[in-house]
Amino acid sequence: MDFELTDEQQLIREAVREFAETEVTPIAAELDRDHRFPRELLPRLAEMNLMGMPYPEKEGGAGADYVSYVISIEELSRACASTAVIVSAHTSLATWPIFKFGTQAQKDQYLNDMASGRRLGAFALTEPAAGTDAGAGTATATMHADGYALNGSKMFITNAPYADVYVAFAKTDPERGTRGMSAFIVEKDTPGFSVGEAEHKLGIRGSSTPPVYFSDCRVPRDALLGGEGDGFKIAMATLDGGRIGIAAQALGIAQAALDASVAYAKERVQFGKPIATLQAIQWMIADMATEIDAARLLVYRAASCVDNGRPYSTEGAMAKLFASEVATRVAGKAIQIHGGYGYTESYPVERNYRDAKITEIYEGTSEVQRMVIARSTLR
Amino acid sequence: MRIVVAYKWTCDPEEATARADGTVDWSRAKPGLSAYDPVAIEVARQFADEAGAELIGVTAGGKGVASPLAAKAALGRGLDRVVTVEDESLADAGRSELAAVLAEVIRHIGDVDLIITGDSSVDVAAKMVPTVLAGELGWPAVAEVTSITGQAGALRVERAIPGGVQLLEISGPAVLAAAADAAAPRVPGMKDLLAAGKKPAELLELAALKVPPPNAVMTVTGRAVPEHKPRQGQLIDTADPAEAAAELVSALRQAGAL
Repeated sequence: MDFELTDEQQLIREAVREFAETEVTPIAAELDRDHRFPRELLPRLAEMNLMGMPYPEKEGGAGADYVSYVISIEELSRACASTAVIVSAHTSLATWPIFKFGTQAQKDQYLNDMASGRRLGAFALTEPAAGTDAGAGTATATMHADGYALNGSKMFITNAPYADVYVAFAKTDPERGTRGMSAFIVEKDTPGFSVGEAEHKLGIRGSSTPPVYFSDCRVPRDALLGGEGDGFKIAMATLDGGRIGIAAQALGIAQAALDASVAYAKERVQFGKPIATLQAIQWMIADMATEIDAARLLVYRAASCVDNGRPYSTEGAMAKLFASEVATRVAGKAIQIHGGYGYTESYPVERNYRDAKITEIYEGTSEVQRMVIARSTLR
Repeated sequence: MRIVVAYKWTCDPEEATARADGTVDWSRAKPGLSAYDPVAIEVARQFADEAGAELIGVTAGGKGVASPLAAKAALGRGLDRVVTVEDESLADAGRSELAAVLAEVIRHIGDVDLIITGDSSVDVAAKMVPTVLAGELGWPAVAEVTSITGQAGALRVERAIPGGVQLLEISGPAVLAAAADAAAPRVPGMKDLLAAGKKPAELLELAALKVPPPNAVMTVTGRAVPEHKPRQGQLIDTADPAEAAAELVSALRQAGAL
C-alpha cells in the first residue's frame, strides 16, 4: 500500500498553496468581515484551471485525478473556506451532473464553459421545508407546449446570484414523491427566475447563499437533465461526490487551525517559557495532529475510490462525517490554545471555528452520513 | 533563438535545523526549486515568448536533481525541456566544479544564445556560479538584471545599480543573473503541472561529458559570524543640548565611529 502522493499531486499541492497564500489569504479576513463574495478571484481560479479540475481537458477541465482535486480544495480551504466552497459547489454539485447525465447537446452548450471556469454553476435542491428530507421538495415543473414552467423556491443556494447556470430540481409528478422529481438546467437570465437577499451566516461569510425563486419560469424541453423522474437519483448521486469536496474543505480548515496553534504555542511565553513546552498544550497539539492525519487518510481514500472507479458512497460519507467533526473539534482546541486572543478577530482561529460548523451540516448532515454508513455496514 | 535557464534543486535552509555541535541537519528539509529560480524562469519565459525562442532548463548536482519530481517542478514553471546531470560526485561539488559541468552541458546543447540564472541559490547564496560559468564559456556575465529585450546577438539589458538603472547592449551570448525581484513568478496552473511530465527531460552522464578540470578551483575554507560588539550602554544627560551634543561626538570619536 503506497501512501505517498504522486509527483503531480505533490506539485499541485505546492502550486495551490502558493496561489492561496499569495492571492487568497490576504483577502480572507476581509471577505469574512464584510460578507463579501470574491468575484475578483473567479477569473484567477479559472486561469489556474481550478474550476473544473477533475474533468477531461477536451471538456475544458484540467484532466486531473480526484485526489488532486480534493488536495486543491484542502489547500484553498486552509486559506479561505469560503473560496473553497465556491469552487467545490461549482465543480462537484453544478458541473458534475451535466458531465454525468447531460445529453451531448447539453454538454456542448454548458460543460466546456463550466469546466474551464468561464461560467459559474450552482445547485438548487434545498427548500425552506425540505433540507435533509430533500425528497419532500414542493417546487414543481409543469409541462407546456414548448417546455416546462418551474414554480417554487429554493434556499441556501451557494454561488447565487453570481452563478450563470443552475441545476435545479422540481417535481414533474408531485404524486410520485421522490420518483416524481426531475432536474433542469436553468440559466440565470431566464424570465421568472430571481434571487433573494443573501443570508448572513455564522461562517463561510464570503460564500453567497441566498434563496432563489421560480415564478412561472419557462425553460425549453431540452433543459431537462436526464429523464423525467430521474431528479432525486441525480441529486443523491451528485451529493455522494460533493461531500468528498466538503470533507476536503473541513480538512483544510482543521489544518489551518492546527498550523496557527503550533505557531502561537511556540511564541506565546507564560511562566517564563513558550507554552509549547507545557504538556497540556503538547497533548492538545498531538490530538489535533493525529485526528487531522486520520481525516486526511479518509478523505484521500474516498477520492481514490472515485479515481479507481470503485463505489464511494460509504467512503465519502465516512470522510465527511469524520473530517467535519474533526474540524469543529480542532478549531475549538485552537481557540483554547490561543486563549483570550483566540476569541478575537486579531487571530484567524475564530474564523476557522465559525467556518468549521457548516461542514457538519451541508451536503448531507452528520446524521445523514451516519445513516448511509449504518445502512452499508448493516447490509 | 535558444535560451537556457540554469536552475538548482536544493533544500531551503529555513527548513533545516542546527545541531548542538553546529552542524546542519537537512533531514526534514524538503527539496525544491531554489527560491529565486522561478523568477529567472519567469524572466526567461517572457523574453522567450517575445523572441520566439526555445527555453531549456539545465541543472547539475547530486542525488535527486534529475528525479522526475525535480524535472516536473522546473518544467511546470514554463520550460520547454530540461537537460540534467545527476552524479553522486557532484553532491558536494564547489562552485567552480559545478560551473565547469554546466559549461559542458551548454556545449552539448549547442547554439545557446543566452543563459539566465537566479540571483543566487537559496542554500549557499554564493552568487558565484553565473560569473564562473560565463568565464568557462568566455562570455560576459551581468548581475541584477531586471529586463531583457532584443534578439540573439543584439540583447538589450536593464540592470539595477545603486540609485538607478543601467542600460546595456550585448552583441553576443551572455550569462545574465536575474535580480531577485525582476519578475513575479507565475504560479503554475494545474494544466501546466499535468503537462510537465510529457515534456522532454534529457539525462546526461557526467563521465560522457569529459569535463576538463576547472581553470581555477575555489574552496570554502571556513565560515565565521561577524564579531559581535557588546552594547556600551553609555547614557548621556541631555539637560543641556549643546553639552550633550559635544559629549556624543566625543564618545563616537572614541569608539571609532567618526
